[in-house]
Amino acid sequence: MTRYIIRRLLQAIPLLFFISVILFMLMRSTGDPVATMGGRRTVRSEDRARLSRLLGLDKPLYVQYVYWLIGNDWAKIDTDGDGVPETPGDRRGVLRGEFGKSLVSRGREAWDIIWERLPNTLLLMIPAEVIIILFSLAIGVYSALRQYTFTDHLITAGSFVGYSMPIFFIALVSMYVFAVNFKRWGLPYLPTIGMFDPQVGKTPSEVARHMVLPIFSMTLISIAGYSRFVRSTMLETISEDYIRTARAKGLQERVVLFVHALKNASLPLVTIVGLDIPLLLGGAIVTESIFAWPGMGRLFLDHVSRADTPVVMGILMLISVAVVLSQLVTDIVYAWLDPRIRYE
Amino acid sequence: MKQKLWQLLAALVVLTMLVPGLAGCATPTPQVVEKIVTQVVKETVKETVIVEGTPQVVEKEVTKVIEKEVTTVVEVEKVVTPTPEPVRKVATFAWTQEPDTLNPLYTNMWFSSIIQQLYNCWPWEFDDQNVPFPKLVTEIPSMENGGVSEDGLVVTLHLRDDIIWSDGTPLTSADFVFTYDMAMSEANTVSSQYPYYYLDTIEAPDERTVVMNFAEPFAPWLATFWKGLLPKHVLEPVFEAEGSIDEAEWNLAPTVGCGPFVFDVWESGSFIRFVKSEDYWLGEPKLDEIYYQFVPDDASQTAALVAGDADLGTFPPLSDVPILEAGGLEIITQNGGYAEGWFFNFRDMASPGARDVRVRQAIAMALDRDAINRDLLLGLTEPAETLWDGLAAYGYVSPDIEPWTYDPDAARQLLEEAGWTDTDGDGIREDADGNKLTLIHGTTIREIRQDAQAVTQQMLREVGIDLQILSFDADLFFESYSNGSPAALGEVDIMEWSDCTAFPDPDHYYWYCDEIPDDENPWGANYFGCDETLDELFARQIATINTEERTAIIQEITKYMHDQVYWLGLWVDPDYWIVGERLTGVKFSGVTPFYNIMEWDLK
Repeated sequence: MTRYIIRRLLQAIPLLFFISVILFMLMRSTGDPVATMGGRRTVRSEDRARLSRLLGLDKPLYVQYVYWLIGNDWAKIDTDGDGVPETPGDRRGVLRGEFGKSLVSRGREAWDIIWERLPNTLLLMIPAEVIIILFSLAIGVYSALRQYTFTDHLITAGSFVGYSMPIFFIALVSMYVFAVNFKRWGLPYLPTIGMFDPQVGKTPSEVARHMVLPIFSMTLISIAGYSRFVRSTMLETISEDYIRTARAKGLQERVVLFVHALKNASLPLVTIVGLDIPLLLGGAIVTESIFAWPGMGRLFLDHVSRADTPVVMGILMLISVAVVLSQLVTDIVYAWLDPRIRYE
Repeated sequence: MKQKLWQLLAALVVLTMLVPGLAGCATPTPQVVEKIVTQVVKETVKETVIVEGTPQVVEKEVTKVIEKEVTTVVEVEKVVTPTPEPVRKVATFAWTQEPDTLNPLYTNMWFSSIIQQLYNCWPWEFDDQNVPFPKLVTEIPSMENGGVSEDGLVVTLHLRDDIIWSDGTPLTSADFVFTYDMAMSEANTVSSQYPYYYLDTIEAPDERTVVMNFAEPFAPWLATFWKGLLPKHVLEPVFEAEGSIDEAEWNLAPTVGCGPFVFDVWESGSFIRFVKSEDYWLGEPKLDEIYYQFVPDDASQTAALVAGDADLGTFPPLSDVPILEAGGLEIITQNGGYAEGWFFNFRDMASPGARDVRVRQAIAMALDRDAINRDLLLGLTEPAETLWDGLAAYGYVSPDIEPWTYDPDAARQLLEEAGWTDTDGDGIREDADGNKLTLIHGTTIREIRQDAQAVTQQMLREVGIDLQILSFDADLFFESYSNGSPAALGEVDIMEWSDCTAFPDPDHYYWYCDEIPDDENPWGANYFGCDETLDELFARQIATINTEERTAIIQEITKYMHDQVYWLGLWVDPDYWIVGERLTGVKFSGVTPFYNIMEWDLK
């Protein structure tokens, strides 16, 4: 197993390098970051020329990638526009721990901008993922054990409805019902936007209150989908021979279901959750935008629309590393859950 | 056992909650006071009475119940009523875009520039009629008061003597010179060096005087210079230590400012908080605090405003206007000089139709712009005739312009006269050489523009013009020539976006011939073409200081561009403000929107 882990980690290095090249090329093709700079009018031509030169955007694409990777403090840049590079660069590059400075908030380190938002995203996504897993398991198992009953049909219908609704629809409807209209009707209501009310402060209760609607919106669709998956795998498992043997040997039904059946039925769910975990870092773009939650999803959207390569590459590489590591962890967990699986 | 433990814990929790409550309910120490009270007492008195049936008069003791005032000692509870704290007036503004920086030199964002009016200052501001009034200066420089030299090469600012930064440091001419130096330093990646590069030199002969020396007369100086100042005493040490102010803390936390409010905190992704400046040299604003809460989604902004979670918003989707008004909010529009229109490409690579002025004129008559405004913009705007419509009050629009009216028959006739006929009966006209009258229309992905594309495509089809519609992300559409911008390369015949002049100045720079993009100038802004007449007119107006002469030149530009249909207006694009019920005293300017923020109050 140790050799397997080391081999996977070594394989990840060229993989991440290849991913970074692809992502960088794609990012630099999303437009000129100094074309409008978020303004209502285009930037004047002389300013675009100056900023492109100062920010290294006038260099060929492969040179920009090299600077991103290993920095430019070994090279000189032309700051005064006379065509002669005279000023040493000040970037150290990703391989030396620097993602570069944001093209939007010029002067700020891209990693600092990302690090500000990462905890907010984890605060929202981790509880959401836990709720999704718990409720999916509960509903899926319950539905499987009551196959073709009225309850099962009700859950099935609800799952189809929930799964087919777009996230922005659920988010906006829940906001209008529980925040806007409840307030209008004099009922206890939830807040519309933000992570906390700035006038109250960032207290645990305040943040928790603001988390309710975003988490509700995110989990509804996933629970609808995952519960169907759990139901399906559970039904498959409880019809296996070893389950029949366990019952024949007189084990309690609770032990048969939750020790023998559920453990095997949850193996495919482990794979799916393993794929989900790195995506937690990316946040939920739509949910965060609608509820104005200051997370990574919104950060990504704001900066990709401004073609801010350093920040966006930082986010994407973070997720890429997380995907590679989480896949490795998933494989290890899989082997632990299922003794039949062995890695060389 | 477990149950008992839980019970014990619960009891402890309850006790812990009760103790503070009990402490809060404790009996106050009584006070002993003397008090005069009226008591009902029984008193035995001697009265002289006549014995019934006899003439005898005797003294008799009689007990009577009487009221008597006595001084008594009583214990009274001393009830201390705390003096209620004054309610703080806190307003929340819903902002759909988070600023990239709070340094006025480093941003091109309208959403950032507007916020700067709370904590920064301009030497003059503009009121709700977009008329300038002095702020830091004693009077607006002009030729009449000697502030502007006869040749227009020298502009002199005389500063007030009572202006200070929020830390008490006097605001002087040195801050103006420093701002100029930072804008022009190649070590700073400022968003724009315009218009500072028009200055030949800048001088500060004393603390109250700024002398701007131009190499050539620069007429737009009043509308373009000094949109925010940098505190020299804060940023100069940073520049000297680091060689640049790119990474200055002040850029994100401008704790020293010169506006009616002082920056307090910026919670990334959430809000920025400002508190009133108690040392502001013009007095204290009525609001105590302002929060700018970032709400990136339009529907969420509407929900927050209707729910009362925000007091001010901007640029709502027009379809949400009825919802907002039903929710008790007021929609205020303010002329900011912007207008949405079609820019025509008449360069050599444009299609023959786009290069034909008669085709452009036919297009102007084939579009029912009133219907577009009525149906797509819910009648909230009106057609724009020139890019200078926002300055019509200043007299810049030629009175000789005859607005284009919707007349598809006249459009067809003009196309026939121009030689464009539908010879093959497919509904699309061709010229004598068989070239189809096909024009390519490009714009950004904003929803209203895509709706307008679909509608105008249909309208032009009715007169035999084939409009092929394309849409691009803004940063791709306006990419450089060398990186394949469709607009810069001339791959589209008609480009649509919202633009304005150097409002409230009529200057514009798009149509200069040397702005046409090519390999030597990949960022050139003239995607349209070189017209020597227009080039000469624009070059002349920017250097004409005399108001009457300059107005005449601008009128000539507006008439020429209108007749040539180099720009065809679709709708006026004002600033939209959504004002909540709580806010009072609110007025907006199209140039400095928060010019009267000191008068804003909450009910």
